[in-house]
Parts: sequence; structure tokens; C-alpha cells
Amino acid sequence: MTVSTTSTAPEAALGVLPRADGSAKYSHAGYTVTASVNGPIEAQRRDEHPYEAHVDVIVRPAAGVGGTRERHLESVLQSSLSQIILVKNFPRSLIQIVLQVEDSPENDYVNTKLVQASLNFSIMPALFQTAVLALLSAGVPIRATATATAVAIVPQDGTKRSVVDPSPRDVEIAQSVHVLAFTSHDELLLAESEGDFTVKEWDDVYETAKDVCCRPVPTKEGMEMVLDDEHTNGPDLRHFLRSTMENKVASDLHWK
Amino acid sequence: MATASPAPSGPQPSLTFTRPVFAKLSPHPYLLRTLSPDSPDQQPTRNNGRAPHQSRPIQINTSSLSQAHGSSLVRTGDTTVICGVRGELLPVTAIPQFRPHNETLYDQDEGDEARARKELKDYDLLVPNIELATGCAPQFLPGVPPTTLAQTVSTRVYSLLHGAGVVDGRGLRVWFTPESKKEEGDMEVEGEEEREEQKPQLVAYWVLYIDLLFVSFDGNPFDAAWAAVLAALKDTKLPMARWDPDREMVVCRKGQDTRLNVRGLPVACSAAVFLEKEHGEVGRGERNRHWILLDPDRSEEELCKEVVTVVVDCSDGGETRVRSIEKQGGTVIGRELIRGFVGVAEGRWREVKEAMGN
Repeated sequence: MTVSTTSTAPEAALGVLPRADGSAKYSHAGYTVTASVNGPIEAQRRDEHPYEAHVDVIVRPAAGVGGTRERHLESVLQSSLSQIILVKNFPRSLIQIVLQVEDSPENDYVNTKLVQASLNFSIMPALFQTAVLALLSAGVPIRATATATAVAIVPQDGTKRSVVDPSPRDVEIAQSVHVLAFTSHDELLLAESEGDFTVKEWDDVYETAKDVCCRPVPTKEGMEMVLDDEHTNGPDLRHFLRSTMENKVASDLHWK
Repeated sequence: MATASPAPSGPQPSLTFTRPVFAKLSPHPYLLRTLSPDSPDQQPTRNNGRAPHQSRPIQINTSSLSQAHGSSLVRTGDTTVICGVRGELLPVTAIPQFRPHNETLYDQDEGDEARARKELKDYDLLVPNIELATGCAPQFLPGVPPTTLAQTVSTRVYSLLHGAGVVDGRGLRVWFTPESKKEEGDMEVEGEEEREEQKPQLVAYWVLYIDLLFVSFDGNPFDAAWAAVLAALKDTKLPMARWDPDREMVVCRKGQDTRLNVRGLPVACSAAVFLEKEHGEVGRGERNRHWILLDPDRSEEELCKEVVTVVVDCSDGGETRVRSIEKQGGTVIGRELIRGFVGVAEGRWREVKEAMGN
């Protein structure tokens, strides 16, 4: 199975919103998402937990109000992010993450409906990355960082091809679509798949996704450079997350 | 304590509580205690008496609702869900973005099947709705909007309905073939126009409203809901519909029901991961034990954060097809455990197939 990617390198900016505790803007594979993180703040009485912080994730779509699909995205993100945030450190408080989708790729082949009920797998990595960047920007203590990617298996000329960061057209013709997220300890944090596939195919997808999410960071001492031809299997998200933070810290400490 | 029994026979009988009281007061240590027996010859059991890898038996009844075109009642333990499928006719003139296609009724090729699948999605021909009614479990309060759980389960059912392609969209089309005008004795009509008119036209679609009501809720809603949807769809018989050109509407004829074509038998299988200690409480390098509890009930779901659901279909006899994997909320289940869990789901598939058989 060949692996291909259709998108360009991801872009991110930290601290874009002046009022929030932390914020991030991330764009990749046609999606642009802005996130704000506030916390720990006082929790509402019904959300208050005596031993841990309540993590509240709100997903706002690019147009219209959120429906059942956004509720599902929220519940997936909430359960994953509360695993990496050290929620036990902040009992009775709330960490609120608001994700506003600003732009999503157009599908020229279908007349898109505003409200869609089905799961939206291809947006999940963008939401995930933005949320993690915003959490880092807000300085919320986390156990590990995490990165996510989407992989689609697309039939082509009788064979199957896996596409990292699939376009809406790829998702439409794909046999199966997968989203996987890994923590920085190389643990599988989230795995969502739909379509028609075998365990063997899922294994291949796992390998591809792990390569995108968990490529070993090149060491500073050895001055190993990431060669361009290594990028054929998609972006190196862990390195991207790290370099974004390094750039932010460097620019914040520029006055020294 | 010498035995697993939480009632100590010590000198202070006033501190003795019954098992249910302990389970209520501190559920996590209680479940941990029953899962880790003192002597190695004892099997770990859960509060409900099941072994960790034991699921509740499933019972399926169909055709219990008289007003619906298809219905089912599914029970797994104390989770009871009732599903009704009702077909409504949707004339193509009522679809705003309807795009007619040129295929005839007899076109049975691959492209038509793919187009039918797309139609299901584009025109919203499958409408699942899930109600977690007040009274099915204490956490559902009256007079509030649908809970996140209900919305999430509904989205997952909708997505799996389309993703697994269980409903053949071609069976939901209503065709009309104009009658030849020769029968009216009108000889002036030209032959070419006649042939043009005899082409079958697509006049309406059946929309299937799939309503699920949880009568009683004791954990694992998705597995029960999906089994109910599948059983109800397999039970669905749609009446014969035809276009009446005089009245310009679709009419149904009684007594000539056709069974809906349902492809495959995808079966959902869920489990939850019970951890000895939560992530924040584990020291560096410390080993944290975990148990994978198949088919968790409500009290277990409250104690577990990590859940996994696998939908498998072994009906074509060959290699097991996986329709969906959903794993979230933790890092215990990795690649090997998911692979192994597909095998567990295959076992569940055989149980559900047997329950659907009668």
C-alpha cells in the first residue's frame, strides 16, 4: 500500500487572543481552527467535581450552530484531553476549551448541507492539535502532549492507497477513514475508524499514523537534520508542536 | 481480612455493612476488591457476578409494535431498548436539491449501488433518533434537552448506518412507468414520443424514521441500540407504493409488503477499562493494574474513563470485516489489545447472530 499526502505543512500561531488565558490558531489540510483556553476557573455547581477539574470542550462550527455532530466531537475531545491534563491538581475547578472552526475545505463535487449529522473525522486532528497548542499557551499543566492525524484508505486502480490528511473528496470515495492520536510517550490516546476494513489494514494505518505523530525528534547534539525526502509520509507533527513552542518562547524572551 | 467478603467478623459488629452499602459508599475500592481476589484459585468477578470477559446474554424480539413497519425489542441484562422503523413517502418534488438521474429501474450495476448510498445521505433518507427517557435511569431528569449521551449515541448510529451501508438505498425508490397511450385507442401519437414516455421515472423515496427508546438503561447503550436498529431494519416491510397519475400522488396498496433489503450483520461490542489507580495518582515507574470489562453496566461505566467499541461483520464467511473502531479516554488499550478485542467481538457477533436467528 502506498502512502501519500495531499496537504502542505501545518501552520500555527500562539497567543492570538489577548483576553484568554491561552490561545492558538492552527491551520492544516484546509482547516483553520482558533482555540481559547481559560482555566483553572470556578466551575458551575453542577460541573464541580470534588477531586478533579472539569474539562469543558466547546466546538463551534464555521457556519450555523452546533448540532449532534459537534456534541460528539466535544465528547471525544473532552475524554481525550482530560487524560493528558493533570485534572487532579485542580479539584472543584473548570478548564474551558473553546474551539472555533474558521475555515474548512470545500468539496466541489457535492452540494454541501449546512447541518450534517454524520461523524466528521477529517476535522478531528485540526481540533485536537489546536486544543493542545492552546493548552500549552495557557500553561495548563499536562502529563504529555498529544498529536493526532487522519488517514483514509482510498481505492485506486484496483489497489489501495492510504492518504494522510484526506481531502473531503478523498473521504467521500474512501473505503475507510481513521483518526489516531498519540501522546508524547507514544501511547495510543484515541482511535476512531469507520468504513470497511480488516485488522491488517488497520495495522498499516496505525504504522502510518504513528510515523506522522511520533517521529523521533532529531537530537540537538548530533545536529541531525530532518531531510526533505523523509517528509513523504506526511508532516512530522511532534516536531512541529515542539518547534512552534520553541519559536514562541524565543520571541517572548527576545527582550533579554 | 481472610476472605473477599467485606463483612469483617471482628470485635466491632456495629461497623458491619452489607455488600450493597459498601458498593454504594466507595464503588471504586469495592470493584477493585472483587476483581482482585486474595487467593489465586478464586476467579476475579465483577459486582454483577460476571467475569471480566463475560457479556450479558442478549434477547431480541421483533414485530412487537403494530403501527410501525418494523420493530424490535432488545434486552441485554437491565438495558432494554425498543426500536421502531416507520417509512414515510418523500416525493422528489419536495426535495430542494434533487438531481434526477437517467438510470432505469433495471440498472443493477455497481455505480447504481454507490449512487443509492449517496442518495441515502444527500436526501437524509435514514433518520435515527434516540430517546433516553426519564425513568430509565436516575441520571436522566425530566424536562431537559437531550443529553450529550443521547446526541452522541444518535450521531454514532447515524454514522454507522451510512458507513456500514446496511440499508440498500435502491429498495427505497418508488418508480412510475407511464402507461402506453395505445391502450386508450389514440392512434395519432407518434411512436417515438411513446417510447420516450415509457421510461420509468423516479417519483418518490421512502424515508425511514428509526426511533429508539430506552425503556431501561443499565450501561452500554450503543451495543443495545445498534442491535435494535439492525433487528428492526431486518424486520421492516414496506407497503407497495405506486404513483397515481390521476390524483398526482403516491398511493400505497395493502397486503403487498416487500421486505427491506438489509446487507450484512455488523455487530457492536464494547468494553471499558477499569484502572487500579487513576493517572494522576500513579507514581513514576509504578505498575498500574487494569481490567477490561466487557459489556459494562451503569455502575462500571461511571468508574471507567477509557472505552472501546468495535463493530465487526463476519457474515461473508471470509476475513472478518471491521466496520468501526472507537477507542477514547485513555492510553491502556494499544495496538495489541485492539487486535485481541476484534477476536472478542467475533465471539459477540456469533451470540447476536444466534439471538437474531429466531
